[in-house]
Amino acid sequence: MKILGLALIIVGWLIPVLALAFTSSNSARLILSLVGIGVTLVGILGVLNKAHLKHAIWKQ
Amino acid sequence: MPHRRVLTRFLLASLLIVGSCGITAWCQTPPSSVTSSQPAPAPNPPAAPSLTAPLVVKEANPPSADDLAKGDPGGTLTGTISDVAVSDAKKGLTLGDALNQIGQNKVAINFVWTLVAGFLVMFMQAGFATVETGLCRAKNANHTMMMNFMVYGFGLFAYWVCGFAFQMGGVGATANLGGTAPLSSEFTVNLLGKSWGIFGTHGFFLTQAATYDVGVMVLFLFQMVFMDTATTIVTGAAAERWKFAAFAISTFFLGAITYPFFGNWAWGGGWLSQLGANFGLGHGYCDFAGSGVVHAVGGLTALAVSMIIGPRLGKYNRDGSPNAMPGHDIVIVLLGCFILAFGWFGFNPGSTLGASGNGALRIGSIAVNTMLAGCTGSFGAILYMWMRYGKPDASMSGNGLLAGLVAITAPSGFVNSVSAAIIGLIAGVLVCLSVEFFDRVAKVDDPVGAISVHGVNGIWGVISVGLFADGKSNYGGSWNGVNGSVTGLFYGDPGQLVAQLIGVATLLGFVFGASFIFNWLVHVIVGQRVSPQSELEGLDVPELGALGYPEFVLKAYRA
Repeated sequence: MKILGLALIIVGWLIPVLALAFTSSNSARLILSLVGIGVTLVGILGVLNKAHLKHAIWKQ
Repeated sequence: MPHRRVLTRFLLASLLIVGSCGITAWCQTPPSSVTSSQPAPAPNPPAAPSLTAPLVVKEANPPSADDLAKGDPGGTLTGTISDVAVSDAKKGLTLGDALNQIGQNKVAINFVWTLVAGFLVMFMQAGFATVETGLCRAKNANHTMMMNFMVYGFGLFAYWVCGFAFQMGGVGATANLGGTAPLSSEFTVNLLGKSWGIFGTHGFFLTQAATYDVGVMVLFLFQMVFMDTATTIVTGAAAERWKFAAFAISTFFLGAITYPFFGNWAWGGGWLSQLGANFGLGHGYCDFAGSGVVHAVGGLTALAVSMIIGPRLGKYNRDGSPNAMPGHDIVIVLLGCFILAFGWFGFNPGSTLGASGNGALRIGSIAVNTMLAGCTGSFGAILYMWMRYGKPDASMSGNGLLAGLVAITAPSGFVNSVSAAIIGLIAGVLVCLSVEFFDRVAKVDDPVGAISVHGVNGIWGVISVGLFADGKSNYGGSWNGVNGSVTGLFYGDPGQLVAQLIGVATLLGFVFGASFIFNWLVHVIVGQRVSPQSELEGLDVPELGALGYPEFVLKAYRA
């Protein structure tokens, strides 16, 4: 799960960066930037954090 | 500044040559005849004044030695032509001497401004120390204060060894500081048909590659205190359960690698700053004083460390509901907030790196924006808490002030005062919502609210540049190599917002990712968290061998 979370974080970062090469439209770049940020947030809070909470100290 | 001397000498020589040619040409011109049918030649312009010839100055009336010997209580005799340095005492004052003095005065003003601003930012360490210590429990006071104390030294050392070189080693000329010419080497890679700056390579130990330079030293001091601000954010979020040794290692990494790399991309001429020049996205990623570079970097690192070390014992019940763990001294918390607000006048206005030249007179506007956003930030937080919980909360009012200041840090140089007030107000509400989210939904324990204040509002500040920049701030004609002023979406440039969003994605992807991986390795190898026994007893004695408040804690235990 942690590896998946980290992978999502990196993919989310690369989406808007690589979009620079694929399109020159500001609207498309704007949307892809928002998508990228969304993916990184899912990776951080949705996957990585949940993986840590599985063995949280207050559950033991 | 040898290059300045060379330039001055070149100008002197050029003017002498031009002057000599003019005089020669004038001497060789035949006298015109009044009877000639040819039109009379236009008179030659007078020869340019020699920069090396003694200057005959009229009406300067420097005070005599006798006058000066009587003292100058009115301040009218001090600072006259007599104080202009001359290069040749026998020759006396020349025009060249006077012009050199003007140039040196400009750089001197900028040096003093930048250094004093840096000293103010350094004093913010005291504010962070009191805010974080006050928001922690008394049994951890010594440990929290010591982390805030030593983060200064650990961070500074790492930044001096390599951090500064990675960040600013390729920044090139910093005109306000007289050039900083030795910082001229950036490691780049070619991708997508463009050159991408990754890190600088000049300035290790502040001596390598001729960086033993007065301008470089001023830039180092100012950048160093910014970096230290980022590192001290993490200590608040991880307080009351972070092993001191792990804290030291983590701080070194942040000061040497994570912060400098993102700092290079934003401020050191790296790829984010070139998004405008290379891809037509506004003026590239713009972060005037560091909502992203300083605060979001610190806040996201704090998030990574907090997730890894987990919540404090007793913070959450078995069903996951949170318990309030109030700090021990709200008085020093609010005092610390005031110290931070004071220091912020160094943070934002100081980021012009000068008070003379290249639009630096906007320092007044930047200072007012800073003040206003802090004010509306505390308004936003206090109103939210009052309406939601029925009472104005002191610690969240302080966090609201800080959130407004964090959010205005990136846009302070690019927006007007109304926008600054709006940005601060939103930040004040946002920090309350964010604290509740991390506390109740994400279940990430953050004793001081550092992730929300610095991480979330740092990102909000970065985005707000892309929305509110009004296109009126023109620092020397261009920013990040793109002519014109920085303009946000609301003033007609959507490309600027895209550049800011790419910066946010990089903060989340690179800064959080790198911080998480490194701190996870430290967790596996060294261990990040203290033992449960130490945590219950309080970290002062197990980690440092001495209590912060010996008698106070003794009484509390016995009661």
